[in-house]
Amino acid sequence: MTNHYKQVGHSIPKIGITERLTGAPVFSADINLRNPLILRVLRSRRHHARIRSIDTTAARTIDGVVAIFTAKDIPGKNAHGIINKDQPLLMGDKVRSLSDPVALVAAKTDTAARKALDRIKVDYDDLPAVFTPEDAMAPDAPAIHDKGNILFTRKIKRGDPETAFKACAVVVEKTYRTTRIEHAFLEPDAGAGYVDDDGTLVIFASTQNPHYDHQAVVSILGLEKDRVRIIQTATGGGFGSKLDLNVQGFIGLALYHLKQPVRMIYSREESFLATAKRHPLTMTLKTGADKQGRLIATRATIICDTGAYASYGIPVASRSAVHATGPYEIEHVDIESHCVYTNNPFSGAMRGFGTPQMAIAHESQMDLIAAQLDIDPLEIRKINALSVGSVTSTGQKLTASVGIGECLDRLGPYYEQARNEWLKEGDIPYRKKGIGIGGMWYGIGNTGTKNPSTAKIKLTPDGRLTLYTGAADIGQGSSTVLAQIAAEVLGITAESLHLVVADTQRTTSAGATSASRQTYISGNAVHIAATACASALIAEAAALLDLPASALVLSDGNVIEAAGSTRRVDFARLASRLLEKKKPLEWHGVFDPDTTALDPETGQGVPYATYAYAAQLVLLSVDTLTGEVFVEKVFAAHDVGKAIHPENVIGQICGGVVMGLGFALMEEYTPEETDSLKDYHVPTCADLPDIVPIIVEAPEPTGPFGAKGVGEPALIPTAPAVINALAHALGKRIYQLPASLEKVLAVSIETGHYGPKEA
Amino acid sequence: MSDIEYYRPHDLDEAVTFLARNGATTRILAGGTDLMIDRRAGTLNTDCLCDVSRLVELKRIEIIDDRLEIGAGVTMNEIVHSETIARFAPALKIAASQFAGNQIRNVATLGGNVAHCSPCGDTVPPLLIHDATAMVRSRSDERAVSLADMAGGPYHCTLGPSELITRFVLKPMTAEMTLTDFQKIGRRRALAISRLSMAVMARQEKDRSIAFIRFALGACTPTPHHFEAVESTLLGKIPTETLLWDVGGKLARQMRVITGRRPSAVYKEPAIAGLFVRILYPLVASSGKPVAP
Repeated sequence: MTNHYKQVGHSIPKIGITERLTGAPVFSADINLRNPLILRVLRSRRHHARIRSIDTTAARTIDGVVAIFTAKDIPGKNAHGIINKDQPLLMGDKVRSLSDPVALVAAKTDTAARKALDRIKVDYDDLPAVFTPEDAMAPDAPAIHDKGNILFTRKIKRGDPETAFKACAVVVEKTYRTTRIEHAFLEPDAGAGYVDDDGTLVIFASTQNPHYDHQAVVSILGLEKDRVRIIQTATGGGFGSKLDLNVQGFIGLALYHLKQPVRMIYSREESFLATAKRHPLTMTLKTGADKQGRLIATRATIICDTGAYASYGIPVASRSAVHATGPYEIEHVDIESHCVYTNNPFSGAMRGFGTPQMAIAHESQMDLIAAQLDIDPLEIRKINALSVGSVTSTGQKLTASVGIGECLDRLGPYYEQARNEWLKEGDIPYRKKGIGIGGMWYGIGNTGTKNPSTAKIKLTPDGRLTLYTGAADIGQGSSTVLAQIAAEVLGITAESLHLVVADTQRTTSAGATSASRQTYISGNAVHIAATACASALIAEAAALLDLPASALVLSDGNVIEAAGSTRRVDFARLASRLLEKKKPLEWHGVFDPDTTALDPETGQGVPYATYAYAAQLVLLSVDTLTGEVFVEKVFAAHDVGKAIHPENVIGQICGGVVMGLGFALMEEYTPEETDSLKDYHVPTCADLPDIVPIIVEAPEPTGPFGAKGVGEPALIPTAPAVINALAHALGKRIYQLPASLEKVLAVSIETGHYGPKEA
Repeated sequence: MSDIEYYRPHDLDEAVTFLARNGATTRILAGGTDLMIDRRAGTLNTDCLCDVSRLVELKRIEIIDDRLEIGAGVTMNEIVHSETIARFAPALKIAASQFAGNQIRNVATLGGNVAHCSPCGDTVPPLLIHDATAMVRSRSDERAVSLADMAGGPYHCTLGPSELITRFVLKPMTAEMTLTDFQKIGRRRALAISRLSMAVMARQEKDRSIAFIRFALGACTPTPHHFEAVESTLLGKIPTETLLWDVGGKLARQMRVITGRRPSAVYKEPAIAGLFVRILYPLVASSGKPVAP
C-alpha cells in the first residue's frame, strides 16, 4: 500500500515519548507545591445507612489537622455525575455504598490526616440494602435514590420478532452473566492544587475529561467559570474510570476554604474501593435463524447493575442495547436494557461501555446457532456480517466503511491453518485444544446524543503553529494523532507543531477521552481548524504571488506552487501580512457527528455516525486435569478506517487483547476481598499469548483521512473468542465470566474429559 | 507509616547476639517480600527489624559429605542460577524459577519462604522431597528442626524469638533418579499465590516398577504434611494411569480429612487428583518417557 501522506499513516515517534522514557513528565502526585496540605477522605464502609450525626470535635484536636469538611461546607450544589447528578461530593443525609465519602480532612502530614479519619465519629442508622438488580427491582425493595431504583431503560423495537421466531429453523435462548471489573490502570488517582495570585483555583488532576471536571467543580463550589482552572497532568491510564470526578472536587473544596496548596493521592486500595467498576450485566438473548444460518430475529433482556450511583450507567445500558445484535444484520428485534441502582460499589465507564459484556452474549449465540445448523463458526458470521447498505437494529442504513466482512476474511487463512494443522499438532495427554472466533462492532462517540469537539490552530507572527486541544491524552496517543492530522493539513511535521493540551484556561472542550471518539471527533475538529488555517495562508499567498489558490500547497512551513517551481512564501511572511490586515491569527474547528436521538419507545434513530469493526481468532488449550487455560495465539483484525499512527493502533490492539483475556479468564472484583493488585489478578507478561494484529482500513468518508477509532474495539472480541474456544475445546459452554480455574475444571469434569482414560 | 528501628548485623554472631537480647521485640528481615506487605497493611507489629540479607554465612550453597546445604539467605534467583542445585535438587530450582516475579526472585530468600510458614510457600514441597531439615542458631545453641515442626499452623513459626535459620540440609538427588519435578497451579502464570503445588522425585527400574519415591503436596494443608501412604502405595508397583488416578483420589480425600470441607475443596479435591496424575504421568509406560538403562 502506498502512502502519499507525509504525516498520516506513519508511526512517528509518539509525542512526548522521550520525556516519558526519561521520567520527565510530572504526574499529579509529584507536582512541586510549597508545603501542600494532605487531603484524605473518610468513607462510609457501610452499604446503606442514614447519617444521624458527624462529630469531628476529637479529630480537630489532632496536631497537624487544619480543617475537616462535611456536606454542610459545600458552597454550591453538592452533586456530581456526568449525566445524572446523583452523587454528592460528601454525603449529607445518607450513604448508599461502602466507599461513600462522608468527611474530608486537610492536614499538614499524612499521618495526622489518617489519625483524624480514625477519630471522626459518624452515627449511622443502617438501612436495608440490596445487592442484585433483581432484588432492587422488586416492588418492596428499599429505595436507594428518591426516584426509585430503575435508573433507565433503553428499548429497541423493530419488525415482529415473535412471529419471526415461529418461522425460524433454529431458536437459541440463553442467559449470560459478567462480573464487576476494576480498571487497574497504572497510576492511582491523584491531584493537587493551589490558589493563583488572581484568586483562581488551579487544580491539577489525572483525568480523562478536564473540561467536564471544570463544569463539575464550578457547580459544586458555586463559582464563576473563570475562577476554576483544571490542568490535566501526565496520566497513567484511565480506561474510563478517570471520567468521573475522583479527587478534583475534594481538592476544589479544600482550596475554596483554605487557599493553601493541597495534594490528594489515592492509595491503590482506595482507588480500588472508591472509583467506578465495569457494570456487571445479565443478558438473556433469544436468537432465531433460518436453515441457511441467516439471523432472522432476536430478543434481548439486559440488566446492568450500576451500583449506588449512575455515573455512566445510562450510556452503558443504551450502548449495550444498540450493540446487542453484534455486527450482524437482524430484521426483527426486541431489545430492552435496564440500568438499576443497588448498594454495590458504583459502576461507570470502562473501555467498551457494555459492549464487551454484550459481545460475550451475541458471539456465544452465534456459535450455538452454528452448531445446531452444522455451519462453520466463521461461515455463519460471514453470512450475517453487516455490509454497506445493511440496516441496523435502530433502523440506520450503513452507507460506507463497514469492514467486518474484511476482518473475517483476513482471519480466514489463519483459521484454516489452525483447524487443519495446529489443532492436530503435539498431542499432550489431558490437554484439549480449542479455536474460537469473536466479532464486534462499536459505534464511535456518544450514543444518540450531541458530543462535539472543538480545536484551535494559532499562528505566531514568526510563523510557528500551535494546536490547542482539550483532548486528554491518557497514554493512548491522542496528542500524537491530532498533531499528525494537523501537520498533514498544514504541510509541516508533527514534531514542529506546538501543542497545548487539556488545560481549561487555554483550551476549549474536546469532550471526554472515551467512546473511542478522539481520533474521529476531535480529529475532525482539528482537521477543520487546520484546513481553515491552510486556506487562509493559501489565500494570502495567492494574493502575494499572484497565482490562483488552486495552484498552491503547503510544504515545510511555506506555501509553494504545486507544480514544483521555486516560487514560495514562508508562514512568517504570511503571518505578518495577515497581522497588518488586522486579521486574527487563529482558526477554530468544531465537529459534532451526525447523529439523532433514539426514539424512547422504539430506539429507532442514528446513534452513531460511524462504527469500528473487528474480529479475533483465539487458539488455546485447556488442561482438563486442573482447569488451567493456556491462550497460545490471538489473531486480531480491526477495521479502523485509516490507521493515522499504525504502531499506536497495534499498541491498542495488543493492550486490548490482554485486557480481554483478563476479563475472560481471571478478573472479578469483590469488595473487601480483592482490594488491591495483590488479590485482584490481571494478566502478567507471563500470561500473554502471541498476538498478531491485523489492521483493516475501510475508509470512513466523514473521518479525518478516513479514520474511525480503535481504543475500545481492541478489547471487545477477545473474551467472546476465548469463551468460544473453551466451548470448542471442552464441548460445553461457560455462561458466566470469568472462566476461572474452578469453572473450567467443573466443565471438564461434567464433559468427561477429567478422569481415567485407560480401560 | 510507623517508627520501626532498623538493625543490620555484620556477621552471624552479631545477629544472634542481637536476637538474644531483642528477639522478643524484633522481626527478622531477609528479602522482605512478605514482611513489607504486612507493613503496608499495618499488621507488622514490631519495634525493630533485624536485616540478615547481607550475612555471607547465610549465602552458601555446597555439598558437604553426602549433604546438600543451602544457606537460608540464598535468594530465589541464586537458586535458579546455581549449578549445584540444578544437579542435586532440580525440583527446587524449578520452584524457584516460577516463584512470584523476577523482582521478587531477586530478593526473596529460602529461609524467609520457609519461616513465613504460609501453607502456600512454594519452596516447601521441593524441600520435603529431599527430607530437608532447617539448622537453627541462637547465641548459645544450634539445632535441627524439621519443616513439619517449624510450622505450628498457618503463618505461625514455632522458632523462638532469639533463633535464626542459618541453612537447610537436604539429601541430594542421586544420579539414578528418573523423575524429578515441581508443578503448581495459580490463577495466572506469574505473581499468583499457588492454589496447589506438588514436588516429586522418583526412580524406576527397567521394568518401570518404582524403586524410590518422594512426594509432597503444597498449598492444601495448614502445615507441611507428609503423605506417606502415597509413597508406600506406589513403591514397588508398575504405575498405570488407573493407579495414578486411584492414588490421586486417595490423596485428595486425605487432604479433606486434614482440612475439613472448605469451600475451596470443590476445586481443590479434583485438582489435586488431576495434578497428581499430570506430574507423575511420565512414570506411566504410555507416556513414552524412557526409564534409566
